[in-house]
Amino acid sequence: MTTSAVILAALLAVAAVLWVARPFLLGTAKEAPFSDDLADERLRLLEERDRALGALKELEFDNRTGKVTDADYRELVGPLRREAASAIAALAALEPDAEPAKVTATPPPVDEAAAHDRPREEQPH
Amino acid sequence: MPGLGRAALVVALALVVYAALAGGYAAVKGRRRLGDSARNALVASFVACLTASLVLWGAFLSDDLRFTYVAEHSSRNLPTRYAFTAFWGGQEGSLLLWALVLTAIGSAAVLLNRRLVSDVLPWTVPILGAVATFFLLVLVVVSSPFATTPEPADGLGLNTSLQNPYMIAHPPLLYLGYVGLTIPFAFAMAALASRRVDERWLVATRRWTLAAWTCLGVGILLGAKWAYEEVGWGGWYAWDPVENAALMPWLVSTAFLHSVMVQEKKGMLRVWNVILVALAFCLALFGTFLTRSGVLNSIHSFAESSIGGWFLGFICLAAAASIALIVSRLPLLRSRTKMESLVSREAAFLYNNLFLVAFALTVLWGVAWPLVSEAVRGIQTTVGAPYYDFFAIAFGLPLVLLMGLGPLVAWRRASLRSLGAQVAVPAAVAVAFGIGLVFAGAADSPAGLIGYTFAVFVLAAIVLEFARGTHARKALGETSWPAAFASLVGRNRRRYGGYIVHAAIALLVIGAVGIGAFHTTRVATLSPGEAMTVEDYELRLVGVTDQRVANREELRARLAVTRDGDPSGFVSAGKNRYFAPGETPSNEVAIRTDWLRAEDLFVIGDQFNADGSVVLKVFVNPLVNLIWLAGFVFLLGSVVAMWPDAREQARLARRLSYAPAVREA
Amino acid sequence: MASRRIPVRLVVALSVAAALAVFLLYTSFAGGATDSLRPSQLLAGNYAGKEVQLAGIVKGPLAGDPHAGGLRFTLKDFDGPQKVEVVYMGSVPDLFAAERHVYLRGTLENGTFVGEEDSLVTKCPSKYAPKADGEPT
Repeated sequence: MTTSAVILAALLAVAAVLWVARPFLLGTAKEAPFSDDLADERLRLLEERDRALGALKELEFDNRTGKVTDADYRELVGPLRREAASAIAALAALEPDAEPAKVTATPPPVDEAAAHDRPREEQPH
Repeated sequence: MPGLGRAALVVALALVVYAALAGGYAAVKGRRRLGDSARNALVASFVACLTASLVLWGAFLSDDLRFTYVAEHSSRNLPTRYAFTAFWGGQEGSLLLWALVLTAIGSAAVLLNRRLVSDVLPWTVPILGAVATFFLLVLVVVSSPFATTPEPADGLGLNTSLQNPYMIAHPPLLYLGYVGLTIPFAFAMAALASRRVDERWLVATRRWTLAAWTCLGVGILLGAKWAYEEVGWGGWYAWDPVENAALMPWLVSTAFLHSVMVQEKKGMLRVWNVILVALAFCLALFGTFLTRSGVLNSIHSFAESSIGGWFLGFICLAAAASIALIVSRLPLLRSRTKMESLVSREAAFLYNNLFLVAFALTVLWGVAWPLVSEAVRGIQTTVGAPYYDFFAIAFGLPLVLLMGLGPLVAWRRASLRSLGAQVAVPAAVAVAFGIGLVFAGAADSPAGLIGYTFAVFVLAAIVLEFARGTHARKALGETSWPAAFASLVGRNRRRYGGYIVHAAIALLVIGAVGIGAFHTTRVATLSPGEAMTVEDYELRLVGVTDQRVANREELRARLAVTRDGDPSGFVSAGKNRYFAPGETPSNEVAIRTDWLRAEDLFVIGDQFNADGSVVLKVFVNPLVNLIWLAGFVFLLGSVVAMWPDAREQARLARRLSYAPAVREA
Repeated sequence: MASRRIPVRLVVALSVAAALAVFLLYTSFAGGATDSLRPSQLLAGNYAGKEVQLAGIVKGPLAGDPHAGGLRFTLKDFDGPQKVEVVYMGSVPDLFAAERHVYLRGTLENGTFVGEEDSLVTKCPSKYAPKADGEPT
């Protein structure tokens, strides 16, 4: 191996060792636990809430484009709203001091006639 | 310089071993700093692999023939761009490319999701490290690109068929695809290992999977185009094991991309999804193995190599570990929700998955059976095109139909009446087309006719989806039709990008049916002055030329083409015979494309006789160029689907502000 | 439509059964795999009239025209002395020459292996050059 190759290889090895040892040398990260059960439950409820809200928006758009008939819409919208409401309620119970503003959308009131007239802003996946 | 390359590989190997072992220990014991150190090791291994790669590239670009690998795959007069791509022209370089891409995108994925990996998915780094360890171990111990020999006068050079633009892009794209599938695999297994049942791993790897799948798809099509033009037998896909090697992971990834949507919407199919992602990864490894180990007769199987056993062992290990992990986490993954209706989008996705995976497994069986048969009976077998064609039709036609129906059916539950209303217009268009095609003579191939009809159904359904959606957005208050359209696609890039991809597949099907079921072939021996007729074309042999050009002898038959009686120029078809020792003759076909009809006149100069006559094989391939067009549309659709969405990003950030931050990939 | 809970497993099981049925139908009627034999295996077994694939090394002399009357040559075992006479019509790959590994489909008739048209394939002598044409259309 040529001299320059040896030097470069040595530099590479040293740099690698330093970079690998960096977290220990800097000592910044605390040995915090990776996660906790409360955060997991919150996340699960958030996913459930977002799933239900997303499905509601999609259902509404599908109804507008004619993919879902009015009859099917009426059948499907109730359970979805209940799902969303229960997830939001459970979230609120978990964290009584959570800001309601964090919740992105509240379920629409159960008023079928008005539902179609209200302009929808978001379109879900 | 070879010494530097070897040293860099050893450093890289040490780093990924550390990443795997230290990362694993850190994940088990909850040691965050050790976990970060392991992550750093993975990133550092990329730098080491890059060093080794630069050494090899430098050797190629400077014609350093002391490197055995360079001498075998390059030569002094090789154009620069091919000296660059000769890097992955052989086994050792390809393995180094795998290691380079893996450490690169592995590091990127882990760094972009730093907090998620550190807080929630600590097993990601050791899994990526373990996969990298395999490749670097093979590179260091068995198959090094940095072996040296006494410098020969000149290198063997790159095979001439590989010196073309398609072969510049085809291997790296496939590698990006194969390696890219490691990312969702690592994140998924890490989630299982840490007993996570939430969707964060899915969200984080969504775009990575999409990008890998796109690269695989485009890579496969580029390979097909190369085969069509350069190998030139008249077809575009030969069901060669190496072609199938890329097709199988692509099919399984397609299934995965659909079923994760079901998991996102309904929390279902969790077990199925982790099985799929592990299967896709194992098939990607298997694909690399097939291409590298020369185990099967194939159009580009490599010479018998030393790494076949290693690969097989690693694939078995990866498969066994994945199965064990999935089985041990089964109780966690079982979802409480069930499918509500057999007529729903979830159900359509499930059917689509079943067909795609069934098709992938039949291809796998076709590839593996010859190996199994030889081991068991002592007699080799071959599985030919009829086997694959049968299943391509048996599974492909329902898949095309589902591609049309799926977007038209709603989530959760669709009444047959509403589905019927949605389906009516596209179905009517398709049936009308079908009837027209019968009069055009397409009934000669019933499967072909059905294929055309279904593809038209898909296209009509997609147009309708875009139209209805744009109309609804306009009604919701957009100012103009173009704004409504942009708003429609912009607010739901995955869905409408996906529709564009479906359109691409429909175009591909039409092209494949055209050339597959409705091509015409003629063979004739012509002396100068004589002519032959194929469909609307007449080809008259004007003369036979034999020219010495640069490094080769060019034999050409020059033909005057007449179309429907009107002169349409000249084509030249024949062969190149190369002077370099060990160079094989190449087939130089002439392709005359009619863009309006997307059809090709394909001429092969099969045999040049001593008496001056030529045996010509001529094809008319209808609609074949739709296949290549489909590639562009596919790319467009994927880009739309992958395009970052600020609104969605914000929504996810709000959702996860309570929980450790995740950045959507 | 009344709300029914349909287990995914049932759908999967039924579909697997259906796929298996398709597969079995195919293999019983269409036949998937063809045996790939060496000359020694072809001569030793009872393959008269059955379509098989024959693989071996080309031995000269090469006579005849593959597009008129048929190309005649001999195929020898890779690692043995047994030989079979072959007659073949159709496209001949550019790589075809004496001492090359080739394979082709066909039937053994009266001691001569009659090749199926356009089924001749040459396995590359060098590392990974693509095989020349000879793909069945």
